[in-house]
Amino acid sequence: MIVLGIETSCDETAAAIVTDAREIRANKVLSQLAEHAPYGGVVPEIAARSHLDHVDRLVREALAEAGAKLSDMDAIAVTGGPGLIGGVIVGAVTAKTLAQVLGKPLINVNHLEAHALTCRLTHDVAFPYLLLLVTGGHSQLVAVEGVGRYRVMGTTIDDAVGEAFDKTAKLLGLPYPGGPAVERAAKAGDASRFALPRPLLGKPGCDFSFSGLKTAVAQTVEGLGPAPSEQDVADVAAAFQATAAEALSRRTRNALETFASAFPRARTLVVAGGVAANGAIRNELAALAGEHGFDLVAPPPALCSDNAAMVAWAGLERMKLGLTDALDFKARPRWPLGEVRAT
Amino acid sequence: MKHILGIDASTTACSAAVLTGDTIAAWRFEAMERGQAERLNPMIGEAMDEAGIGFGDLSLVAVTTGPGAFTGLRIGLACARAISLAAGVPLAGITTFDALARAVSDDERGAMAAAGGRLLVCVEAKRRDVFVQLFDADLAPVGEAGAMDGEAARVALADGYYLLAGDGAEHLRPMLAGNPHVRFSAALAPPDARHVAAIGAARGPSPQAPRPFYIRPPDVRLPARG
Repeated sequence: MIVLGIETSCDETAAAIVTDAREIRANKVLSQLAEHAPYGGVVPEIAARSHLDHVDRLVREALAEAGAKLSDMDAIAVTGGPGLIGGVIVGAVTAKTLAQVLGKPLINVNHLEAHALTCRLTHDVAFPYLLLLVTGGHSQLVAVEGVGRYRVMGTTIDDAVGEAFDKTAKLLGLPYPGGPAVERAAKAGDASRFALPRPLLGKPGCDFSFSGLKTAVAQTVEGLGPAPSEQDVADVAAAFQATAAEALSRRTRNALETFASAFPRARTLVVAGGVAANGAIRNELAALAGEHGFDLVAPPPALCSDNAAMVAWAGLERMKLGLTDALDFKARPRWPLGEVRAT
Repeated sequence: MKHILGIDASTTACSAAVLTGDTIAAWRFEAMERGQAERLNPMIGEAMDEAGIGFGDLSLVAVTTGPGAFTGLRIGLACARAISLAAGVPLAGITTFDALARAVSDDERGAMAAAGGRLLVCVEAKRRDVFVQLFDADLAPVGEAGAMDGEAARVALADGYYLLAGDGAEHLRPMLAGNPHVRFSAALAPPDARHVAAIGAARGPSPQAPRPFYIRPPDVRLPARG
């Protein structure tokens, strides 16, 4: 089986072709970074316009790279949400129309589900596994029991960790997107110089909170005066990153303990989503997994940030279970993982 | 026999029509504020089935390019471009002004021409003002496209004879009530795929892939996250 995937839910226009032999035949991603950078964040209308300008070209390029024709595809998969709705609609209508013209099945993929299943494309991970999903908009701990069977064990009660990275970068005068910029700056920093509050320390459960940390970073930066030195910036970045990574790891530990007693034979902790590209976070989680006799699986960074290979793969997984969708499916700006259809 | 598919999702309706020769072989039209992304493909499917043709039988797809609702324009264009990609059918981009102008009856146009008047086509913009463009009696545009609210229309239409048409015209009516030289056409409905297909048939494929005609730049707001 071979599936075309389309992704237009945020600021990357992407098209990819993936087979059920876990082979990525093409993975085209066009970043709109430069178009949004002047605004310090993604502007929905600019994103939607750009998706329309480029999505059909990216499909053509993916087909050329794969050496395949549209008529070779067994199905068309597309992100139907959650995301910036104007962009999601461009991808959804493109995919609906391709499926309609080709007479092939259409699969409406939840963007978070696509992140959640990527480790099965890259590492053939068996169900069940514990997933830490960390993106610009989401921070969740999920027991992944099967395709469409996602038990959300913890989520953020305020901001996503990716937002905290972006905010920290903005406060420090670092470029957008904040994740990679903070990680680069932190390399030369001394994390112990500033003691930032550790979110939810000593509290049971596995929810997250990052707004207090964000505020503390703002206060710390303010205390540095109008012109912080390069070393100041590096030290704040390092302190923030270390605190965020520690918080993620500490809350994941709680989830891991609950998960391991529910699924005594499960052995895999997975981290996915754009923030999973962060090395400090990966290191913390690898240590945590090791302590509990788990393996940490993290897809390569290119498949952690938004892409269409993960959408095509999730489409394949759903199609194998007969989970296809009609041409009138509704694109959704909000679509929690717990509401993904399993039958 | 040539088959042309017309589609529109640009303002407050959704429609699809198959034009076979000079006859509309099938037509679907539904008024809706939103929901075009759910309805357009099924309506195209119904129209094609009723006309008894497949996508490979099409010689042209004609689509409204705008102006109109930004999301609606993208729905129509994404659909048309994907048909072109998958079936190799050429595309014709038709402005909503052209599509709405085409809906004005010959009688109304004749009366307008006899009075030396011009046609002001008004497109629903889902905002306080409407998108407008002036046409002559032969439906050729005689001015640039723009946007105006009722007050601007009162000033701009103070001299001369005008026939107002299109789904945005009603928005201007209150401010033009005292102007004896302004008439309102009976053609006040949203764009219709039958007219889009007919204009496409007359003009043939657009030299370049049709692009959205937004008129307005994006409203840059505070960043959102997805």
